[in-house]
Amino acid sequence: MGRRHRLKVACSAQALGSTSNAMATTSFLTPTQRYAAGALLALALHQAQINQTRPLGGSFPDDETSDDRTSSGSSADSVADDPDLWVHEVSGLLRPVFRFLEIDSVAWSGLEETAGSSPAKHHVGAFLRLLAEENDGNSSQNSDQELALSKAVDAMWRSMEKSPESSESKKEKHREYETECREKCSTAEVQSNLEASSANMEVQPKTEGNILPLEDAVDGSSSKGDENPIEEVTMLGYQRKVTVLYVLLSACLADTHEDNKKGTRKRKGYDARHRVALRLLATWLDVKWIKMEAMETMVACSAMALAKKEESSEEQPQSSNTKWAKWKRGGIIGAAALTGGTLLAVTGGLAAPAIAAGLSALAPTLGTLIPVIGASGFAAAAGAAGTVAGSVAVAASFGAAGAGLTGSKMARRTGNVDEFEFRAIGENHNQGRLAVEIMISGLVFDEEDFVRPWEVQSDNLERYVLQWESKNLIAVSTAIQDWLTSRLAIELMTRGAMMTVLSTLMAALAWPATLIAAADFIDSKWTIAVDRSDKAGKLLAEVLLKGVHGNRPVTLVGYSLGARVIFKCLQFLAENENNAELVERVVLLGAPISIKDEKWGAARKMVAGRLVNAYSTNDWTLGLAFRASLLSQGLAGIQPVDVPGIENVDVTDLIEGHSSYLWATQHIIELLDLDTYYPVFRGSKRIE
Amino acid sequence: METSSNQAEFDYLFKLLMIGDSGVGKSSLLLSFTSDTFEDLSPTIGVDFKVKYVNVGGKKLKLAIWDTAGQERFRTLTSSYYRGAQGIIMVYDVTRRETFTNLSEIWAKEIELYSTNQDCIKMLVGNKVDKESDRVVTKKEGINFARECGCLFIECSAKTRVNVQQCFEELVLKILDTPSLLADGSRGVKKNIFKERPPQSDIASTSSCC
Repeated sequence: MGRRHRLKVACSAQALGSTSNAMATTSFLTPTQRYAAGALLALALHQAQINQTRPLGGSFPDDETSDDRTSSGSSADSVADDPDLWVHEVSGLLRPVFRFLEIDSVAWSGLEETAGSSPAKHHVGAFLRLLAEENDGNSSQNSDQELALSKAVDAMWRSMEKSPESSESKKEKHREYETECREKCSTAEVQSNLEASSANMEVQPKTEGNILPLEDAVDGSSSKGDENPIEEVTMLGYQRKVTVLYVLLSACLADTHEDNKKGTRKRKGYDARHRVALRLLATWLDVKWIKMEAMETMVACSAMALAKKEESSEEQPQSSNTKWAKWKRGGIIGAAALTGGTLLAVTGGLAAPAIAAGLSALAPTLGTLIPVIGASGFAAAAGAAGTVAGSVAVAASFGAAGAGLTGSKMARRTGNVDEFEFRAIGENHNQGRLAVEIMISGLVFDEEDFVRPWEVQSDNLERYVLQWESKNLIAVSTAIQDWLTSRLAIELMTRGAMMTVLSTLMAALAWPATLIAAADFIDSKWTIAVDRSDKAGKLLAEVLLKGVHGNRPVTLVGYSLGARVIFKCLQFLAENENNAELVERVVLLGAPISIKDEKWGAARKMVAGRLVNAYSTNDWTLGLAFRASLLSQGLAGIQPVDVPGIENVDVTDLIEGHSSYLWATQHIIELLDLDTYYPVFRGSKRIE
Repeated sequence: METSSNQAEFDYLFKLLMIGDSGVGKSSLLLSFTSDTFEDLSPTIGVDFKVKYVNVGGKKLKLAIWDTAGQERFRTLTSSYYRGAQGIIMVYDVTRRETFTNLSEIWAKEIELYSTNQDCIKMLVGNKVDKESDRVVTKKEGINFARECGCLFIECSAKTRVNVQQCFEELVLKILDTPSLLADGSRGVKKNIFKERPPQSDIASTSSCC
């Protein structure tokens, strides 16, 4: 072992110039356990790629048919012949991990083939059993380390859990927002709907009718959660599971790439596909995802701590100027981001690359451990958290943090877009979070509508909203609103006509002349807004491609034209990328995107994890605005998208009109439970 | 049996599995077959995989050969590789009797338990016949055991390459003779879950064929 360690250090020495005793992490596990851990990641990675187009979930109970198709073993070709596979050598996803885990290179192709040639479930149990194997030799030391590590993770996790009061007050705020929105924008729509429905004698309970679907969703998730009951999991102790996940996470972040010209993976950092595979693996191991997030923060912080230590040891004056020079020299952030940094100094100190804050986030957490596990245990835990840092690329993937995203503000000048800015929201900034969420509003009446729909959400991602083209968006939203409050519309709605209008549109039948006239009213503004959303999508893609978000997996959520921005972004990525390196999850709500005209399949491939299309079958505002001939081609915001791997979710019951997305998005996201690997949403109609 | 030159095209794809105690020479046998070389190998970790393209009986074949670790600690792993194998090669060392007896006591039972292919062809291979002076398991014993469990039998040496090609060729010929196995391995059944097109010919296989 010792010999290998030294080798290891040598090959990762270039990582941020650090040569710490990083490799101790891997010695937490025996060689056999590391082999098994590598195998499990490979299996998860391949399964994740399969699930891109063939999602698992409650409606496909255990998917026996697919099993038969893929499992006759002999019938699958070898992985080596298919470079598009995530487990193939050129993807650059597995071999660096194997190298980090010090798995002998002669075993690599066997692992890749195993993962790629047969369904994961045939092998997962066996590898878990291998993992459960008792440590031989220095077992007491290893189990002490495992204990310390799992305690540290638990402490971190508890510190990340939101206090109920704060979320309560947030919800209160959100209710206020909802009330405001309703007063401001949906009077006509809702009232007339109410009138219409009372006229039709079908009174629906409105505001609190959401409780039912929530319960359904919980039921749904529980039945889906045990989709993969693996008995061997019970053989594994909790501490072993945590250790395995921690080591694998470190391996995914580690900078152990060898220069490989063949490789298709373009960047260092945290690959979205790795994160999806880890999410599946955590599901298999029955470890809560928030604990993985705790581990991510630990790895990130310890890597940053190390980077900082090196920095201060380099006898440089500690002015922020030289810090930035250093980051820049390292090629970590571009010039645009540098400018963004100075801008950020005004908006609250995001500029300093999360280092200091990230450290202070970790330090007290580890501090609280001392009473729990004793001083020596603390040393072990701190060591455990810290040892990984040396070879980890986190600091590189991450250094520019918020500054990077806000720096991309500069890009708009090239993009023919008047406004394109990221604004940081939520409490997760400077906390060493290793995943980013970008939320994009579409229908906005006021600048605050870019932010407030997203405020309550309480996940653990570093969250940003994209403020874009507010002038045009407000114009089109207001035009729609004005039309809705117009006498004609109210009259139509009172007659209950609107609900049937949509089906008429969908059937591509002739439009009622009154409607055509009405739609002309908003047409020109709408056309501009759609055009801008396409351009903003391209800009967003450029931002992601440049890695200004810090090469971290991104979750994109958007409603209305915001969803279109995201979709266009994915399409643009598909023209430039061959794989789902950047985007982890996507949620499109009420999306004005044609179904048949657009390359949904290509867009799907750009998303490593779940891609949700939330639609409302009676969102006739969207249908009206989007009309044109395109409607006959299908519209994602009002009907399911029949493309494999797209998770279609019917939110008709939660949406009263298109403007409801302003306040209902939050609730829909909760029902989707994005931290679950499998599709979750009661009543969703997935198509395959 | 000649090595096929065109790797991308083949009529059948067969999955073969090699089992047996640690140190009997499974990996050496495979290496001898796939690359005509012999060297001292360290014990296999988990499972190894090699591809070999061959022409047998006028058919182009792609052999996907899984070489499992004989070591006890990896045994739990091996079980999941029996699934779908058309041929299983049981290897023992003619100079170590326990490797022979373990075949009946352990490995034959594993096959019973885990193999999903009723008709799958089994082959008993006595390796290391180059060490004739150290031999403790006679050829007669091998033949008898092979008859008992209804499998093919051959003695060979990975080191001198005696009978190595024949070993695989006989196994493959027998598979070709078995219609139910052929149906499994034919191209028509081949499924790529991501796309239904044949493997690209411009991608040279990284496996150690030729």
